[in-house]
Amino acid sequence: MPGWLFGSLTAEHCGSCSSAAMAWLVVRLAISVSLLYTASAVFEDQVGKFDWRQQFIGKVRFALFDTQSQASKKLLVATDKNVFASLNSRTGDLFWRHVDKTGPEGHIDTLLMYGQDAVVVVGNGRLLRSWETTVGGLKWETVLDTGSFQAAALVGVQDHVKYVAVLKKSSISLHDLSSGSQIWVENLPDSDTVQYQTIYSGGNGLVFVLGVVPNSHIVIVEYKIEDGEIMNKKSVEAAWMSSLETSCTIISSGILLCADQITQSLYTLPLQSAEQTEMRQIHLQTLDLEVASGFQPVLTSTQPNPAQPPLSEFFLQLSPDHHILLQLKDNLIAPLRDFNPSYLAAFATSGERTVAAVMSPKNDTACSINLFSADTGRRHLDTTIIYHMDPNGGKPNRLYVHAFLKKDDSVGYRVMVQTEDLTLTFLQQPGRVVWMREEALADVVTMEMVDLPFTGTQAELEGEFGKKADGLLPMVLKRLSSQFILLQAWLAHLWKLFYDARKPRSSVKNEITIDTLSRDEFNLQKMMVMVTASGKLFGIDSKSGTILWKQYLENIQPNSVFKLIVQRTTAHFPHPPQCTLLIKDKDTGLGSLYVFNPIFGKKSQIGVPALPRPILQTLLLPVIDQDYAKVLLLIDDQYKVTAFPSTKNVLQQLQDTASSIFFYLVDSSQGKLSGFRLRKDLSTELIWEVVIPAEVQKIVAVKGKRANEHVHSQGRVMGDRSVLYKYLNPNLLAVITESTDTHQERSFVGIFLIDGVTGRIVHEAVQRKARGPVHFVHSENWVVYVYWNSKFRRNEFSVLELFEGAELYNSTVFSSLDRPHPPQVLQQSYIFPAPISTLEATLTEKGITSRHLLVGLPSGNILSLPKMFLDPRRPEVVSEQSREENLIPYAPEMPIREEWFINYNQTVSRVRGIYTAPSGLESTCLVVAYGLDIYQTRVFPSKQFDVLKDDYDYVLISSVLFGLFFATMISKRLAEVKLLNRAWR
Amino acid sequence: MTSPGAQGGGALATRGGATGKRMKWALELSLGNSRNRGDRQSKDGDVMYPVGYSDKPVPDTSVQEADRNLVEKRCWDVALGPLKQIPMNLFIMYMSGNTISIFPIMMVCMMAWRPIQALMSMSATFKLLESSSQQWLQGLVYLIGNLLGSALAVYKCQSMGLLPTHSSDWLAFIEPPQRLEIMGGGMVM
Repeated sequence: MPGWLFGSLTAEHCGSCSSAAMAWLVVRLAISVSLLYTASAVFEDQVGKFDWRQQFIGKVRFALFDTQSQASKKLLVATDKNVFASLNSRTGDLFWRHVDKTGPEGHIDTLLMYGQDAVVVVGNGRLLRSWETTVGGLKWETVLDTGSFQAAALVGVQDHVKYVAVLKKSSISLHDLSSGSQIWVENLPDSDTVQYQTIYSGGNGLVFVLGVVPNSHIVIVEYKIEDGEIMNKKSVEAAWMSSLETSCTIISSGILLCADQITQSLYTLPLQSAEQTEMRQIHLQTLDLEVASGFQPVLTSTQPNPAQPPLSEFFLQLSPDHHILLQLKDNLIAPLRDFNPSYLAAFATSGERTVAAVMSPKNDTACSINLFSADTGRRHLDTTIIYHMDPNGGKPNRLYVHAFLKKDDSVGYRVMVQTEDLTLTFLQQPGRVVWMREEALADVVTMEMVDLPFTGTQAELEGEFGKKADGLLPMVLKRLSSQFILLQAWLAHLWKLFYDARKPRSSVKNEITIDTLSRDEFNLQKMMVMVTASGKLFGIDSKSGTILWKQYLENIQPNSVFKLIVQRTTAHFPHPPQCTLLIKDKDTGLGSLYVFNPIFGKKSQIGVPALPRPILQTLLLPVIDQDYAKVLLLIDDQYKVTAFPSTKNVLQQLQDTASSIFFYLVDSSQGKLSGFRLRKDLSTELIWEVVIPAEVQKIVAVKGKRANEHVHSQGRVMGDRSVLYKYLNPNLLAVITESTDTHQERSFVGIFLIDGVTGRIVHEAVQRKARGPVHFVHSENWVVYVYWNSKFRRNEFSVLELFEGAELYNSTVFSSLDRPHPPQVLQQSYIFPAPISTLEATLTEKGITSRHLLVGLPSGNILSLPKMFLDPRRPEVVSEQSREENLIPYAPEMPIREEWFINYNQTVSRVRGIYTAPSGLESTCLVVAYGLDIYQTRVFPSKQFDVLKDDYDYVLISSVLFGLFFATMISKRLAEVKLLNRAWR
Repeated sequence: MTSPGAQGGGALATRGGATGKRMKWALELSLGNSRNRGDRQSKDGDVMYPVGYSDKPVPDTSVQEADRNLVEKRCWDVALGPLKQIPMNLFIMYMSGNTISIFPIMMVCMMAWRPIQALMSMSATFKLLESSSQQWLQGLVYLIGNLLGSALAVYKCQSMGLLPTHSSDWLAFIEPPQRLEIMGGGMVM
């Protein structure tokens, strides 16, 4: 069966690749079969069988617990990824999630919550929205007046919150909470000089707007809630103040409290009093306190009910690990409790009781969180939560507390801790981790898939053959011992099967841990190594999506560039696999290497070379050192090369092969492509340079071919059964340029195909009246790119295919230095009826399976588009030959069929990249789409020709076989008896 | 099963109950008659030969000349058989067309297989033609006929595109060329 279907695949791929007459017959039959091209969608019962999706939200900026009812499980979060979501606080799953536009347009400015309503200001004060929190439905939306957003607050009147006030740079508006309609809007006085930053309402019919003229004075404007009339306006001297937001808060019944590091003082000012025109200064020395040098003191207060004034207790943070709880009473500030050391502190309210949770270090690996009553500073008994810090994670930096009243009227609480590496941990007493979310995965930068190792026993056998022979007898003994280990493992496996079979099915859990990891039969399960923008690395099992290891790299600059390189795969037991991550700091340009084992996530002990100069590019050579690690070359800004690893062996090999090692570097800002050749002393010489004038067009992307790509068929079979050989230049680069002129009539997109060794421009094409962003795939002998046609206002696909012609120039070796004939280039374009986010091509082990393009759409779907549709040989007029070749007649419109969506309804929000990896099965390609979500699946571009179908009827087939077998036996016996009887007649 | 001894020697035979009223055992004194079944059956119709009956055929010499002609003719029939099939094959070829489906394939297989089979059993045919005087000529004609038949089958295969005669048929065996240069790099990071 596989053989037959293999034929069918060959047919689809290259028309005909077989020699014998019978094979030809199969191929011809298969062509007729493949004409009945059917969809590649999954069946309903296949859902979730080999695919999974994980949804993320990003770094939490605002988190609010629903405290309306005790049983509520809602946790509302708004994140830096412009996501507004509701989490189930018992499981950590998403109830619902709203993904807004990326960039400042969808930026969530603030999140306020009252009752069932959550009010969100979006897009720097562009929109005011109210959400129903149970199901996540939009209640109302109002477009706000222009002006940059400053602050928003809920406004209550007589114990009822009715309004929401929004403060902008030059105006203030009041909106009804139930309908969103604007009650009034007022311009702020002197808004060109005064920076209004804070808004406050204590439920007494007034709204205070606070502004500051830096290093001069504070302005306080009082508005009447009913009609927005200015009741009072005053300015108070505050020469030391630069920003209200960072140094001030409002406590008690409308008292402005500010802290200043330089004067080491606290300042208070009643907002409403008419007589006090100066802030009252309280030296911290009088309280026996001191702010750590260089630290801006932080004040934290709490206003449990927007219709009531805030509490008079507040936290003052004096240094990164020193908090103090203070109380303002009768115009005097008194310390209630000193928390030294303490990392984080937060208030929480349940009913009428407000508590403060403080996280203090316990030992090197754990922190303890304790609950204190806010009004007295007294510790609540038995409220300790032990938080174990992940040794591979970051430090905690945010604490969110959910307090609730227990049945005995004491206060219970749960906390959510956010760490530097964007892990959300939800804990309950006495330290049980209820759930954990790894939000760093919302921003995957790059990834690789690494084969899993064999099981211990397999590896043992592998190792036996890998080691050098040391005498006959030891070899025999070693062999016997490893066979014995295999037998042992097999018996243990049988025993486990037997043991598990007795247990009820539900209790048998196939938990995947790092110890039970092993390669499966077809190498379908791999380790996904993901690098995230926050500098956290993850090892994820591709079959289940379980995070098997994580490692946070500290001190990663936010705009660093990462490059992940697999230097050694798992194929070289007993040498562990090895990955190298190059991290380049954009600001300093300096790079560093982090070498680790991709299976266990452990940092490797191998010494890494010091990189004193900024690194421009890397090159992974197929040259391996004596430990089977591929050699990585790093080129610095003086075009000198550093080899890693750089043992004697490697340097010797490099000297031998130096003349055949070439680099290319693309400098987008100067529009320069330059090629270098390695010298024996590891310096380089410039051998070519191509300049694309940067003032006309800008290089936006360059892509070579993937190093692990195999092309099975060297040519294409024509209708007359001759061969059109592909131009398979492994050194070919596709360079995409965009015009600097963005006028729709004059803009263009250019594509250059350049040989990376010689710098020869093999082909160039210009798409006029076209605009980026350009997405493209460069593989085999073709380049597919997508651009925006600004004349017809549509997205277009264009495909370039290169052929050598009817004869191969040199069929044994390929050298870019010896290519006298330019390739034939064919091009065709198509209309694609949707915008696209990303583009990638499938990849299989041997390259026999036909290729599909995976198109990530902004809707979150991933379209698997057969390359067959993007074929420049598609004829406009159908002929006998083109029919023979199985070419689809040209149609300008590219179809999108819903059954081509490989992720059915499991959409991937903001898909940014698609990673494809071959599996052990030729038919199967592993796909990971990442963006805000991560989706993993398998695709079968030519169907599963090498495995039996899932619904293969084993029972029927085997019962028929056995039935026939027994029928033969019985009839044979009957025939014998009958013959004998006849003989006796 | 009846005891194997029953058939051995032939002198003694025991019979099962199925035969009804037969005796339980019988002794036959004529050796060799019960050696096999056919003999036993002939025993049932065992009658004495009539008087004058001779076992040996009487040689008839009167029609020998005509007989030889007949043999000759018969041998020519055998030798010309494959050639005679060719027009028929051509017709079938024409009718079946060049499409690849099960019936044309079966036809081609038969067309190819029959001459091959005939060529393989050439010695048997020669034995058949032994009696003829033009044995070698007939053999040659027979051979040519079969070769023509197989050539026709090959031609049919060719016209159906089943022969690996084009470069495309050998495409799968072309190894990817080895690359001489190693190249890498990219945008300045």
